[in-house]
Amino acid sequence: MASPKSQQKPTSTLFKDPAATESVRSILKVLILLTIAAAAVASRLFSVIRFESIIHEFDPWFNFRASKYLVKHGFFDFWNWFDDRTWYPLGRVTGGTLYPGLMVTSGAIWHFLRLISFPVDIRNICVLLAPGFSGLTAYATYLFTAEMKDSSAGLLAAAFMGIAPGYISRSVAGSYDNEAIAIFLLVFTFYLWIKAAKLGSAMWGGLCALFYFYMVSAWGGYVFITNLIPLHVFVLILMGRYSGRIYVAYSSWYALGTLASMQIPFVGFLPIRTSEHMAALGIFGLIQLVAFVDFLRGQVPTKQFNTLLRAIVILIAVVSFVGLVTLTVTGVIAPWSGRFYSLWDTGYAKIHIPIIASVSEHQPTAWPSFFFDLNFLIWLFPAGVYLCFRQLRDEHVFIIVYSVMSSYFAGVMVRLMLTLTPIVCVAAAIAVSSILDAYLAIDSPDDQDDESDAKKSKKKEPAPPTSGSTGGFLSSTAPFIGIYSVTSKAMVVGSFTVYLILFVLHCTWVTSNAYSSPSVVLASRMPDGSQHIIDDFREAYYWLRKNTAYDAKIASWWDYGYQIGGMADRTTLVDNNTWNNTHIATVGKVMASNEEVSYEILRKHEVDYVLVIFGGLLGYSGDDINKFLWMVRIAEGVWPQEVQERKFFTARGEYKIDHEATDTMKNSMMYKMSYYKYTTMFPPGQAQDRVRGAKLPAEGPVLHTVEEAFTSENWIVRIYKVKDLDEFGRDHFSATAFDAGKKKTGKKGGLAGRGSGKKGRRLVRA
Amino acid sequence: MRLLPLLATVASLLSVTVAQKPHKYTTFTELSASNKGTRGTVILNDQLFNELTLPPRNYTSVVLFTALDPRFGCVLCRDFQGEYDLVASNWFRDHPKHDGLLFTVLDFSDGKATFQKLGMSTAPILMLFPPTTTGSPSEHMPLKYDMNPNDPSAAESVARWLSSQTKHAVKITRPFNYVKLFTLIFGLVGTATLSKLAYPYLAPVMYSRNLWAALSLVAVLLFTSGHMFNHIRKVPYVVQGRNGGVSYIAGGFSNQFGLETQIVAVVYSVLAFATIALCLKMPRMESAGKQKVAVMAWNLVLLVLFSFLMSLFKMKNGSYPFFLPPLIA
Repeated sequence: MASPKSQQKPTSTLFKDPAATESVRSILKVLILLTIAAAAVASRLFSVIRFESIIHEFDPWFNFRASKYLVKHGFFDFWNWFDDRTWYPLGRVTGGTLYPGLMVTSGAIWHFLRLISFPVDIRNICVLLAPGFSGLTAYATYLFTAEMKDSSAGLLAAAFMGIAPGYISRSVAGSYDNEAIAIFLLVFTFYLWIKAAKLGSAMWGGLCALFYFYMVSAWGGYVFITNLIPLHVFVLILMGRYSGRIYVAYSSWYALGTLASMQIPFVGFLPIRTSEHMAALGIFGLIQLVAFVDFLRGQVPTKQFNTLLRAIVILIAVVSFVGLVTLTVTGVIAPWSGRFYSLWDTGYAKIHIPIIASVSEHQPTAWPSFFFDLNFLIWLFPAGVYLCFRQLRDEHVFIIVYSVMSSYFAGVMVRLMLTLTPIVCVAAAIAVSSILDAYLAIDSPDDQDDESDAKKSKKKEPAPPTSGSTGGFLSSTAPFIGIYSVTSKAMVVGSFTVYLILFVLHCTWVTSNAYSSPSVVLASRMPDGSQHIIDDFREAYYWLRKNTAYDAKIASWWDYGYQIGGMADRTTLVDNNTWNNTHIATVGKVMASNEEVSYEILRKHEVDYVLVIFGGLLGYSGDDINKFLWMVRIAEGVWPQEVQERKFFTARGEYKIDHEATDTMKNSMMYKMSYYKYTTMFPPGQAQDRVRGAKLPAEGPVLHTVEEAFTSENWIVRIYKVKDLDEFGRDHFSATAFDAGKKKTGKKGGLAGRGSGKKGRRLVRA
Repeated sequence: MRLLPLLATVASLLSVTVAQKPHKYTTFTELSASNKGTRGTVILNDQLFNELTLPPRNYTSVVLFTALDPRFGCVLCRDFQGEYDLVASNWFRDHPKHDGLLFTVLDFSDGKATFQKLGMSTAPILMLFPPTTTGSPSEHMPLKYDMNPNDPSAAESVARWLSSQTKHAVKITRPFNYVKLFTLIFGLVGTATLSKLAYPYLAPVMYSRNLWAALSLVAVLLFTSGHMFNHIRKVPYVVQGRNGGVSYIAGGFSNQFGLETQIVAVVYSVLAFATIALCLKMPRMESAGKQKVAVMAWNLVLLVLFSFLMSLFKMKNGSYPFFLPPLIA
């Protein structure tokens, strides 16, 4: 680092001649960063060690499948990929509706490794991509923080970032999701932006745009950058801190970045049409104006300038307001709606987009989650933000804006904890390193020599250009003296060391216990403490893969679409992409309706198998019966006449599956398929659902139009085959009744003849 | 055997009503024009209700059973009444002659007998009496509207329901809210004027770094202590526990009470303030003795509160293995 600065650092007093130890310290820095990267990677490998090198959860399975497609068919095929094996019969324009950054990255790594004669299976690249990038994220955090304070704060921030559970939650090995690379890109783009704004350099602005483009190609969360950088600029302008540097940095970033981002097919013309991109465009316009006014000020005498300025401002304000209203009314700019709007109007999603509200990671965050994910960083965070107010250089404004915005977002949505984590690490590192700066200094001020020492220290104090005007800021008016007593130093340093160690323990524990489960494979403890692996999902998907026709269509709730596509390689009706609400509602209707209605829909969609997840036997609470109300709600949104949520509740408004369950519930496909033959597992009348903690009716449901094809070891996955049309042209109700040895009634058959067995008997008696 | 007299009465009624059929319908349309209710609705009483719903009917009638009298304190009724009147007035505006769809209201105070007869104990209830074409009893059965108390646009829902259940297409256009527009305009102008006048006094405050620092920190503390969760989930502030005590810590990891988050926010802020004091204030103290005591004190505050926080977290997450002395939960 620059030597004049390091001379002022208290730590440098360890080495009496800083210039001589420059190279030693650089080597140390590199070593520390490498160690941090190694720790970051290592702490994410729990799942690989405990289970195996496997892709986790839901979305990663799609990314994995897309990556395989990319390396198999090449980039151009991937770009134009139309996938007819999902969203049957609609298909999905996959190449145009995904963020390709992740797959392209792993594809590039795969090709590179082959180039150096080191062939690695694409799966292993996918599994290990996230840990690998977490090392890079730590480095990017180091760079970012070093710009804010100094390199010692940078190293602390890198260490925090490397092991903070808030980030690990999305980047353990096997969690092959967009966030795996996106957080690195987020932090690095911000670093480049700070660099560009500091130097006023178009080159750094261009680099920032380049990584912004990479970010856009990788994650929908790029909108966070799109709004945060303009906000930073806007706040700076409001503070009267406009400068040529800001102008160059912002203009080069915005122009290049926006043009580049429009090259991603999925993004296309969104940057000039949707409301969440309007802030960036508006600030781009504003900064041109400000620059123009700034230019005029130098040319025109003051008095005329003021009149001119006023006229210009009013004119522009009116014109742009009218323009915005016209564009919104005519529909060129999308009105405020959708996913991002739901962040501001927190009740919006629940009413208008149940499909978003239904996802568990879109729920608001309770305080334990913050503490769980960040431990003691969470209370160092406000302290770090406060410290930024002390110097308040342009880049510190960025930290403050970022902190406030992202803590709001993280509070509204659990998932956005991810964007909060980097800034918490940075702010906390600034706080901790400020403490260490003060308390690790070996030289103590001399008690007798108060006056002169104070003066000396005042000179020594890091003096950035703006520090002359701390604006009478609290707790920094007095001159910096230092800590007198060694005991005080030892105590503070000691207690913070304890906190840091506790933080490491906490992170390890959280990572190991909460974030390292692949959720495809479940683990439970046997009574003797040994681990028992529950592998029902793969068992069932493998069964599908081996025992069904290649073009078989599987209907399941959308959560399992990607897994079926990835593991079973079979065509699905809906998947986690959720682009078509009506189609999802159709599947919801299949599950929520009775057999007659469902069978017709299933036939129309040429469905061969229906798959449901049932946790009742094992107590696996994430099963379909617990998600069922969302299926009903989504279906009701499209067919309010045919599916009604109210009918699934008992008269007392309870959601029951036992003998109190409503008829609609008992006749729904989901209920029937979940509990079909379940009672046979228990002695008569003892059947129990361990998730809902309820006793089931002695008489289990009867299925007519589908037949059980496969049930996994622990009953978690149940697959039913949709019956073909009856050979004799009967409907399935009378056919099953006939098979059960009951006579078919002549004229009263038909679909109404579900009670036909009973009627037949009565006829016989007569 | 009980069927016979019933049939007889129905038959006799049939003959009577057939005779006065055009009569009956016009009575009601006239009633709606002259009635004291909202334009387009008919206010019923027991007698009128019986007359209205008596088959045969060549018209569709919608009946809202309600209890508007303040004695019953039916908030839902009052809320729904406005929406219902909107539907009725919309229909009346588009169809001044009603065109076979009548909107009627039966208040409990005018129709106790009917409420009893139909066994209704709740209000509001909306029913649809479709026209009778054949004589089958199933046709006489009214349809009941599934009331959703949280529906922000109940009028639209009712219109959709009516359109799907009858041959009439009911459309809703909400009247433009001029009051809102003018409030907005005056509000804007007022704010602009006020800020213009107050600017000389406010400017120094607005450019005060301490103010903005305080605002930012309050925002950060509020959000990181789970305030948005309280806001969205509308959690209770405290909950009356068993034994008459008050429990202010919610059981479970993903649940919390209002007071709980405030405690956490205060703990966070004191911890953050202790950190700031340690790194900014302490090194600026001139007296060595005072400094030593102050450093000790802040360090102790930090330790105790962090320990408290850890034990609080352990309460929320029982399996959490770590703790910090002195507080071990």
